[in-house]
Amino acid sequence: MPELFHTLSPQDWQAIQLTLELCLYTTVILLLLGTPLAWWLSLSHSKLRTAIQAIVALPLVLPPTVLGFYLLLLLGPHGAVGGTFERLGLSHLAFSFTGILIGSVIYSLPFTVQPLMDSFRRMGPRPLDVAATLGAGKLDQLFSVVLPLCRGGFIIAATLTFAHTLGEFGVILMLGGSIPGETQVLSVLIYDHTEAMNYAQAQQLSLGLLVSAFVVLFIVYGLNRLSQREAVL
Amino acid sequence: MSLFQITVRKGKHWQAVAEQNCPHQITTDLSLRLTMQRGDFCLQIDNCLPLRGVTALFGRSGCGKTTLLRAIAGLDRHTGAEVQCGATIWQQGGRFVPVHQRRIGMVFQESSLLPHLTVEQNLLYGFNRLTKDTAITLQPDQVIQLLELTPLLQQAPEQLSGGQRQRVALGRALLSQPQLLLLDEPLASLDQQSRSEILPFLQRIGSQTGIAMLLVSHQLDDVVKLADNLVLMQDGRIHSQGPLPQQLLQPELAAIGAMSLLHAKNYGSTDHLLKLKLGQQQLQLPAPLHGDSANYSPTSYRLRIQARDVALSLKPLNDSSVSNQLQVSISGFNNAPHPAETLVQLTLEGQALQALLTKQSVERLGLQLGQQVYAQIKAVALD
Repeated sequence: MPELFHTLSPQDWQAIQLTLELCLYTTVILLLLGTPLAWWLSLSHSKLRTAIQAIVALPLVLPPTVLGFYLLLLLGPHGAVGGTFERLGLSHLAFSFTGILIGSVIYSLPFTVQPLMDSFRRMGPRPLDVAATLGAGKLDQLFSVVLPLCRGGFIIAATLTFAHTLGEFGVILMLGGSIPGETQVLSVLIYDHTEAMNYAQAQQLSLGLLVSAFVVLFIVYGLNRLSQREAVL
Repeated sequence: MSLFQITVRKGKHWQAVAEQNCPHQITTDLSLRLTMQRGDFCLQIDNCLPLRGVTALFGRSGCGKTTLLRAIAGLDRHTGAEVQCGATIWQQGGRFVPVHQRRIGMVFQESSLLPHLTVEQNLLYGFNRLTKDTAITLQPDQVIQLLELTPLLQQAPEQLSGGQRQRVALGRALLSQPQLLLLDEPLASLDQQSRSEILPFLQRIGSQTGIAMLLVSHQLDDVVKLADNLVLMQDGRIHSQGPLPQQLLQPELAAIGAMSLLHAKNYGSTDHLLKLKLGQQQLQLPAPLHGDSANYSPTSYRLRIQARDVALSLKPLNDSSVSNQLQVSISGFNNAPHPAETLVQLTLEGQALQALLTKQSVERLGLQLGQQVYAQIKAVALD
């Protein structure tokens, strides 16, 4: 293994760093956005709920190229969002880190919302009713009841989101291309290496991703089992 | 039997504490106005409930009791509803005091302890969140002692039995220094043993702490053991309200289980016989058996008497095994659930007693309104 890392090029290292940054930012943003969304979905009786739930799950079934294509149109120089940015004197968002970050957030949304929603549903409204009758306001309830009771759900949501972003390829390729230091993440770099017949380099990075993905999932399922055992006890 | 032992043993704690700080029982007026339509069901309330001691909100499942309780607590917000507790307006027009700012304690039907906290942390959850200007009348130590929670403090909720959990939930609610204690079927999920474990505590909280309690229940048995007043709900409306002994005369309640509730003074006991006084008349019952009976004797008892355990005679019977014979006057006749029977309303030293007789017997004896007769009481349950 040590020998393998000696041969990683600066370009490889740059891609690793970029990938980790993308995963980290995506996870943080999604936890902030996904928590209230999952909360609303788990409690709401609104008719809108089914539609929102379907939209949240779309990235699970759509080919990443479709998602990437529409995002490219939207965020590109002539798109609703990208065009507005241009008119404001900023640059559009296609082929930029911000662009692929937006793409990742949308693409990994179900992986944050689903586990959170499940754990909110498991908790049910009762603990919050109890806390409220004992004088806890909404924010107090979040920190003193929801976070500790749904800790497992949050950990699983965060790890799955991180891991899923790690394996993202289609959306990034469509939306970001392969600009080193900007949009060239590991999965894209592996593709580039393969295209250029640099099989050895593609092999090192692929193996690295394979091992780290396994480790992450192993941790998730381990935690899952632990929290289930806690529930039984 | 064990029920009574617990009652008695804990009675001493309660009395001790009550002497130290027993706010006088105050009447809290709860004004409610609430209309809600859900499918076929319509809840329509426009009443003022004077709450004092334990008030039972009684009615069949699905008559709107829990909906009403949740509206009072503020857990559900119904547009147009009005809730006022004492001088405090909780909901009116656009004004809505959120749950966490209402001074209520609530005990839910099933275990509601926060599972990630120990018993002690659960107990203090509300207490630690009291605003600085809240007057503290119940200290944690007192409540822990009252409810005998000391051995449980470091345990996790899942290690407790159903009865223990409800005891902790009760203590937790009390420690939030509520103006009003709301109990939503607190005994419904418990087995018989756990029920008898928690009943004595509930019985004393209302009278000893002075906190008004509103108890939702569909079990008449629990209600007659606990409540001072009864609010009868039917099909989303409040049918009637008043002191429990009078409410028991309502035909709707008589249909479920015709009984009477009498208050009697303790007159001492000899030879394991407890002497009770009802006005000028006396009643003798086997004294409850318990270890330290000599040291404990409540000044008054609540007597529950089933209407079918009361017989009537025109003259006192001297050659009967029934020793409890009381002079009563007939104040009314009501239909009984069974077509062959009649519920005879009696006045006993100003209190109400019911006897379930066959129509044939009533005719045979020629019973008339206002007539003086003798009631033979065959069985009494003591609280």
